[in-house]
Amino acid sequence: MDEIAEAIKQTKAYYCLDCGKCTGNCPVSLFDKAYSPRVMVKSVILGEGEKLGKTRLLWSCLSCKMCEERCPSDVQYIEFQRRIRGVYRDLGQREFCSHGGAFQSLMRIMTAPKLKQNRLGWLDKDLSVSKRGEDLYFVGCLPYFDAFFEDLNVHTLNTARSTIRIMNGLGIKPMLLENERCCGHDMLWAGDEDNFKRLAEHNLKEIEKSRAKRVVFSCPEGYRTFKLDYPRYFGKLKFEVLHLSELMAGGSSQNPLSLGRLNKAVTYHDPCRLGRHMGLYDPPRELLKSIGDLELREMYHNKHTALCCGTSAWMNCDLASKQIQMMRLREAKQTGAQILVTACPKCQIHLTCAMKDTHLGGSLDIEIRDLATLVADSLPSSKRKK
Amino acid sequence: MGKVAEKESIADIRALLEQEEVVLHFPQAELGPYTLRRVKTSQCKVACPLGTDVKGYVGLIAGGEFKKSLELIKETNPFPAICGRVCMHPCEPECHRGEVDEPVAIRMLKRFVADYELKQASEKPKVRGARKTGQERVAIVGSGPAGLTAASDLARLGFSVTVFEKLPVAGGMLSVGIPPFRLPRDVIQAEIAAIADLGVDIRTKKEVKDPRRLLRQGYKAVFMATGAHRGLKLGIPGEELQHSLDALTFLKGVHLGSGERLGNRVVIIGAGYAALDSARTALRLGSRHVDVIFRRSKQELPYPDLAREAEREGVRLHCHVVPVKVLGRNGRVRGVTCAKMRSGPADEVGRRQPSSIKGSEFSLPADTVIFAIHQEPDLSSLPKNHSFEISPWNTLVVEPETLATKTKGIFAGGDAVSGPKSVIEAIAVGHKAAASLYHYLKGKELKPAPKDPGERQAEVVIEDWVPEHKNRMRTLREAPKSWRNHFHEVEHLPSEESARREAGRCLMCGPCSECEKCIAECHQKLLALSVPGTTGEQVLVRIPWLSDRFPNGHEPWEVHIQGPAGESLRALASPVVCQVWEELCRGCAECAQVCEYEARKMVSREDGVVVSQVDQSICRGCGACVTVCPTGASILGHFTEARITETLEHLLAGSVGGKRKGEGARPHIVCFGCNWSAYPLLERAEFEIPAGLHLIRVMCLGSVNSGLMLRALELGADGVLMLGCTSEKCHYSFGNRVAETQVDMAHKLMHTLGIEKQRLRLETISSGESTKLKRIIRLFATKMSKLGPNLLRS
Ligand SMILES: Cc1cc2nc3c(=O)[nH]c(=O)nc-3n(C[C@H](O)[C@H](O)[C@H](O)COP(=O)(O)OP(=O)(O)OC[C@H]3O[C@@H](n4cnc5c(N)ncnc54)[C@H](O)[C@@H]3O)c2cc1C
Ligand code: SF4
Ligand code: SF4
Ligand code: SF4
Ligand code: SF4
Ligand code: SF4
Repeated sequence: MDEIAEAIKQTKAYYCLDCGKCTGNCPVSLFDKAYSPRVMVKSVILGEGEKLGKTRLLWSCLSCKMCEERCPSDVQYIEFQRRIRGVYRDLGQREFCSHGGAFQSLMRIMTAPKLKQNRLGWLDKDLSVSKRGEDLYFVGCLPYFDAFFEDLNVHTLNTARSTIRIMNGLGIKPMLLENERCCGHDMLWAGDEDNFKRLAEHNLKEIEKSRAKRVVFSCPEGYRTFKLDYPRYFGKLKFEVLHLSELMAGGSSQNPLSLGRLNKAVTYHDPCRLGRHMGLYDPPRELLKSIGDLELREMYHNKHTALCCGTSAWMNCDLASKQIQMMRLREAKQTGAQILVTACPKCQIHLTCAMKDTHLGGSLDIEIRDLATLVADSLPSSKRKK
Repeated sequence: MGKVAEKESIADIRALLEQEEVVLHFPQAELGPYTLRRVKTSQCKVACPLGTDVKGYVGLIAGGEFKKSLELIKETNPFPAICGRVCMHPCEPECHRGEVDEPVAIRMLKRFVADYELKQASEKPKVRGARKTGQERVAIVGSGPAGLTAASDLARLGFSVTVFEKLPVAGGMLSVGIPPFRLPRDVIQAEIAAIADLGVDIRTKKEVKDPRRLLRQGYKAVFMATGAHRGLKLGIPGEELQHSLDALTFLKGVHLGSGERLGNRVVIIGAGYAALDSARTALRLGSRHVDVIFRRSKQELPYPDLAREAEREGVRLHCHVVPVKVLGRNGRVRGVTCAKMRSGPADEVGRRQPSSIKGSEFSLPADTVIFAIHQEPDLSSLPKNHSFEISPWNTLVVEPETLATKTKGIFAGGDAVSGPKSVIEAIAVGHKAAASLYHYLKGKELKPAPKDPGERQAEVVIEDWVPEHKNRMRTLREAPKSWRNHFHEVEHLPSEESARREAGRCLMCGPCSECEKCIAECHQKLLALSVPGTTGEQVLVRIPWLSDRFPNGHEPWEVHIQGPAGESLRALASPVVCQVWEELCRGCAECAQVCEYEARKMVSREDGVVVSQVDQSICRGCGACVTVCPTGASILGHFTEARITETLEHLLAGSVGGKRKGEGARPHIVCFGCNWSAYPLLERAEFEIPAGLHLIRVMCLGSVNSGLMLRALELGADGVLMLGCTSEKCHYSFGNRVAETQVDMAHKLMHTLGIEKQRLRLETISSGESTKLKRIIRLFATKMSKLGPNLLRS
């Protein structure tokens, strides 16, 4: 229970004023009246964490960080929640896994030292990669998502292909890791630090071996995890961590891309990790705007107030998740945009999942694209394709 | 759900409804692994004064689990080796095997496991140093089975126990009544030593004259288990002559080493245990002619087994004979005048009162006459002003429920209260005394309160099958004539094979043997056996579920059953049907799309949110919806994902990381077996199932999603075998298809992970194809051996 006291102290939960601003802004609380971050903080502080710790509500938080935006006391709620999860996990509680726990199993299997994956089968001939160099592209779980969500018609590997295409366009031939592991993001947020560390250690070792100087991410979760969480556990990293949008828009590269045209109205959905977690609101938008003729329309909730895609870490996908997703899709439809762009494979999956229900009769249908694929398709070289 | 009516008559259900706690097992399917229902009990258990779980321990012997069997016996009986030799086995006459051929040799089987344990020198019960005992001191007077059982219980409960014994040896009648050729002295000593090891202080040659003094000395309570040690004579002329004595005086003298000379001819009056033991002892002391006279018919002999053994040794048994007068010369016995009897009409208890035949007198020559008519407690040493109530039979009177005497803090039981009975009854009283003393000293009940045998009811289920005839084993030594030359044990220990064969004769009456193996095996500690209620009607094993995780805690829920006349019956049930956890349901309708029974409906709630609902009267429990449900909102009763995962974790514990030594070569295979084909075949497989194959029952392969398959691999399974019906024969018609999709998905993920595809395989069989099943399993196991351990195991 010292761990709880420690968590309360370090996340400044003691400063909670019981004002309820968090709950008022929490998308989960909006649809699941049983869940309230304020009550969570209060009951843990009062030593009654048990009451919630043993229920599904322990796993409800999306770590979307909306609450922290509003908290007058700067309580670090998501970190608080993560650590409380760890405490109860040690006491035998488990998250409610989506999809029969297939992803959790995948991630844990990836901790096996002797694993030899076949994860590069998607690498098309026209993509240039190299064995040695300064830049490395961290693909993340895209090959697995691609297989699992084939039926949803979400092909997350296209994001990987597009990312390499963009990097090639910038004159970079990235290295890829043959035995890259999951970054550990989901394990971490489910309170499973042990497996998180195992995965992280593998990745760090492999990257070190590659002698990469920069590691580029298309996935916001991997980006956040490498940039914030790896150093917390393993000290300063020996390489730079960049999101694809930073690489392109941030001018950190010598040759800026000249993009083609797309005469369409699009709206951009900020993934929580890229936006509120890492503050990258503008680089993706800048990038979109550099596509000719493209019109960017903002949803009602955007940037700091952007709504979450409703599910996180493949757990506790539930009634509230669905309602959040539907709300987000309605907002997107209201902008009149033809395309909903997001920069996260999971947002793409969850939001697509929400609109396919038969009883919705297609009323929430909208084309959902990943930032990287949209940009890559606008590259002069890829005009031929598609 | 008409199916219920097929299984259990409506009257049954009505009766069930009147119970407080009722769990109907699987109304629409068959008894499942997780709901065990136990109905009544077997008659052998009912017959045993101690309520010994006969069927349980016999069953364990049949299975070769000797140690567990003994443990089970020891739960209620601190003297298994003793009872295994001298118990009067009231269970055996009740044994239903007796109606087929002969009763199971229940007593001998008890001796077998008790001795087996003693023989395993290395596994000898650990002799603990004197245990630290509690502060509260209690005294036991008398070291017979009643006293020592109470002492053992009280010591375990943390009291400091002192046993006072008048004689130089402990054991009561075991040591000074029953002769060594039936009960060797080292056996008594070993079992008493085990009790002393609990920290019980047994003081011999310490007669207690006034138990009230013990209270004054600081003992908080006293239990009087002083037995019935005064042998009675008949009151016929001549019985006061020299060499005319009572059986107890005789036996006690022999056992304590001060026996008197009997002469060549001995006449024994009576045919109870004391008489027969005296007769056989006399033979061993060198008497040539030993005559036992009994006033009733041979059929009425109280202990026919003992009488038969005595006759085989050469004792002459005269039935329907009474002594009239002891003849003497010079003050010494010379013979006995006897009269012949005939059976009279039966009295109200069914016993025929014999009457003597006029003019039938004859005499038997004798050097010694031994009266073995009856024993009663010897109260001669009690002080004049004692406060006990004494019955007309010279026994101590106690309150039957509590065993309390008139004096506060003094309790009494055993032969001292009941008159001469038996060892097993004395043990039962000993437990009762301990519970009563505990209650008296601590003010609370000792749970579970021992059940009165009268409350139990037996149920017999030999119906339309006639068991095969199998002879009872024989354990008497051959060449009985030579027995009479020594005091060694006359029964020999059966071999392991014959003991197992004998135990295998048990008909397993009553569905549950109460062996409680299930409870011991259940690592989740989810099982609890509730003891029969006063009605003895219905006994349930209740399974507390992982209640915090699920909406209704998986407590049995109310279901409505239609009776034959269309009337609606209510019952609490825990059937294998689906339920929806609404807070988790995202209304995706995957379930409704998969369920071909149309048990699923998407409904719009008042707030406009769409969720799924199950019509539980339509649901067949296939679990396909659970597989396709992305959120876990669909839950199948009894077969929850959490439960299956936990089972996997348990079965595969330690396989990741190669913690198990020397098992590299043996593949761990998880086999999900369909309830309708592979599972029953495998459960009763006639072929040998390879070690390391873990069978998990599922209602349908369609209820196993790719997540579970990966989970098995993740936990260290080398292979996952999905064994179920062919698509034409799928019990739920569409389950097979669902399973195929899931296996495909798992294969895709395994490919990317770099795990060999062969490690997961779907195979189909029909319900009777045992040979095919065998081949499939062999092949798969061989393949897994060739592939070597799953990479996660190294
Ligand atoms: C010859 C014979 C054969 C038997 N065979 C069988 C058999 O085969 N199977 C069977 O089930 N039963 C048999 N019995 C009966 C069985 O032994 C008794 O029913 C049983 O031992 C009674 O147990 P108990 O503890 O009540 O008394 P006991 O075993 O009689 O023990 C009482 C003890 O109290 C002691 N004691 C008495 N007064 C005092 C005092 N004032 N201070 C200190 N100590 C005192 C006695 O010395 C004695 O040791 C047999 C009995 C006899 C006599
Ligand atoms: S992080 Fe998001 S989901 Fe979690 S409590 Fe805060 S607002 Fe709610
Ligand atoms: S917003 Fe901050 S201060 Fe207010 S209740 Fe939530 S955690 Fe406490
Ligand atoms: S939103 Fe859909 S894809 Fe995402 S976790 Fe939930 S069910 Fe799965
Ligand atoms: S799919 Fe099977 S378990 Fe699910 S509701 Fe239908 S019949 Fe019941
Ligand atoms: S599949 Fe699961 S989440 Fe979807 S509607 Fe059915 S119960 Fe709800």
